[in-house]
Amino acid sequence: MLRPLSSLSLSPGVRLKLLRAGFQFTAELQSFSPEELAEEAGVSQQEAQEVLEALGSSGGGAPPLTALELLQKEEQSRSIVTFCSRLDERLHGGIPVGKLTEVCGAPGTGKTQLCLQAAVDVQVPQCFGGLGGQAVVMDTEGGVLLQRLDDMATAAVRHCSLLASDEEQRVAMATFTVRSVLENVFLVRCHDYTELLAEVRLLPGFLRERPGVRLVVVDSVAFPFRLHLDDPPHRTRLLQGLAQQLVAVATGHDVAVVVTNHMTTRLGPGGSRLVPALGDSWGHAPNIRLLLKWAGPRRAAAIFKSPSHLSASVHFQITSDGFRDAEEEPDDQPQSKRPRGHAHQSASGAP
Amino acid sequence: MVLLREGMCPGLDRELLRGLRGADIRTVEGLVSSDIEELAQKCSVSYKALFAIRRVLLAQHAAFPVSGADLYEELLSSTAILSTGNPSLDKLLDSGVYTGEITELSGGPGSGKSQVCFGLAVNISHHLKQSVIYIDTTGGMTASRLLQMLQTETSNTQEQMEALQRIHVFRLFDVHALLDCLYDLCGGGLQRASVGGGSVKAVVVDSVSAVISPLLGGKQNEGMSLMIQVAAVLKTMAKDFSVAAVVTNHVTRSSGGEVQPALGASWSHIPRTRVLLQPAPSARPFSCCSLRSATLIKSSRQPCDIREDFDLQWWSRGEEGPSGKRKLDETHDESSLVL
Repeated sequence: MLRPLSSLSLSPGVRLKLLRAGFQFTAELQSFSPEELAEEAGVSQQEAQEVLEALGSSGGGAPPLTALELLQKEEQSRSIVTFCSRLDERLHGGIPVGKLTEVCGAPGTGKTQLCLQAAVDVQVPQCFGGLGGQAVVMDTEGGVLLQRLDDMATAAVRHCSLLASDEEQRVAMATFTVRSVLENVFLVRCHDYTELLAEVRLLPGFLRERPGVRLVVVDSVAFPFRLHLDDPPHRTRLLQGLAQQLVAVATGHDVAVVVTNHMTTRLGPGGSRLVPALGDSWGHAPNIRLLLKWAGPRRAAAIFKSPSHLSASVHFQITSDGFRDAEEEPDDQPQSKRPRGHAHQSASGAP
Repeated sequence: MVLLREGMCPGLDRELLRGLRGADIRTVEGLVSSDIEELAQKCSVSYKALFAIRRVLLAQHAAFPVSGADLYEELLSSTAILSTGNPSLDKLLDSGVYTGEITELSGGPGSGKSQVCFGLAVNISHHLKQSVIYIDTTGGMTASRLLQMLQTETSNTQEQMEALQRIHVFRLFDVHALLDCLYDLCGGGLQRASVGGGSVKAVVVDSVSAVISPLLGGKQNEGMSLMIQVAAVLKTMAKDFSVAAVVTNHVTRSSGGEVQPALGASWSHIPRTRVLLQPAPSARPFSCCSLRSATLIKSSRQPCDIREDFDLQWWSRGEEGPSGKRKLDETHDESSLVL
């Protein structure tokens, strides 16, 4: 079928000139040389060259993967452990590489703590089952405390040094130190959404220079967009663009992208309830959504959107060492099917 | 319209072309819609010659009428109805997704759109032994979930692997890449994907709104134009290659708080069949419930606004227990799969 010129990624000025000259379909341009086209359409030779290049490159995109190849790729890639074994288990090994994961929760539920924990855990050497990677943390709220990062790094290094049993692991421990952990976290402080958008645009270049990066954190994506943007359609548009770029980064560079989000109140017929902020359209963007909350006196994490995981809720705690399993977990006992702490959660699951 | 070129039809030579250019006529459209008599005087060519050229051009560019009976015959031989694998959804869709048209699944986050697409892809590749093109624009495509669905269908590893090989996945994240891919599929990509397996029966775009909505809502209307182009190429592809085009769409809230598919009124004319997926009314927000309700909001075959409840667990049900109802009760208590 004939492809209209307007579907090509051309600058508006050049496109207009081509249309004025009577060209409408890509097939009409095929026989032209850049010089002829420049004369015919009244564009510069440089522009004509670009048009013909756009024409040639279209259709020559990446060949499709079969689902089988994708499966093999998925099996090879490792996930980032969270050091909360129950959450890792439910996530089949941790925060997956190549996906966009959102962590939402009310203030003080541990979103930033989980992000920092992941930034440390991504660096665990491969012989310990980690990824031995680096992390980029984009801080939009100023909430990233290096002191906490230091605590968590100390705990992780201590944990691994206790585990080290063979020669390979002892060699790896020599380079896995608190200092190296801090060195391998790249912190970017973004003060508003413009800075955040600009930084995300630059991210592919940064990742090409540092192929070791396996984790990108945006903490939080909600704050700059809720603070400075009053025009909802404009906000949605920017957010959708940001989401697509983050997903492209995650897939293209094999990194795990973790973003955090606030909660907001939605008034409905059944009274008000807390829902993740930034609206429904943003809700489509993350591949996996985690909700952190207080369930009675304990902290709980729930998976509530994922194409491949069971929805589940687990308890965790935050200690001075970081993000950990809750100490005792009565709902792991087979006789009690329903987690006690959050009965309201599974009430609808009752037969 | 098409540019006028030398040798397009008898009588259209270089000299005449130059004359027409002088009268600022460059395209077929221009020539056909201008006043021939006036033009003949302006370019000093014979009225007769111009008239003949116009007739030939019109004949070349006109569509050809086909009798309804012939079309119906062709339709019967080329249309296939592809089951989604889920009986409730099939009932809603009048036994499945039809080739030759666009079917849209819309719903909020986690409403099961991708799961239905996965189920459809698995059903086509495993049961019908045909190929599927899956265009993933959100990074949500997870092959391990496909494998999981296949494992409930067959325990034969060889068959599972063969079925997975018939699903071709494109991962694209912007609208130009999507258009490049779709035009390439029309220009031979579909045939290439059919090599070594069944022919391509379905093209799934999950999701179409993820790439289009970043362009909408601004002052420029470029986004609108690109959206219509995506629609046009999908429609042409569905018809010409008799494949089923399945797209997923986000939802927005109207001012009244009602949920409706996104992308606005212009897009609403594009899909032939539209289905809205929602959590079943009994389910609470954020609960671990896999029950969903599907509402038919546009269809040319079935009465609209009919609703069917279904369970996302259906695609990962056990081997035994063909009764979906019983299975449903069993899975009720356990943690369930969400999208």
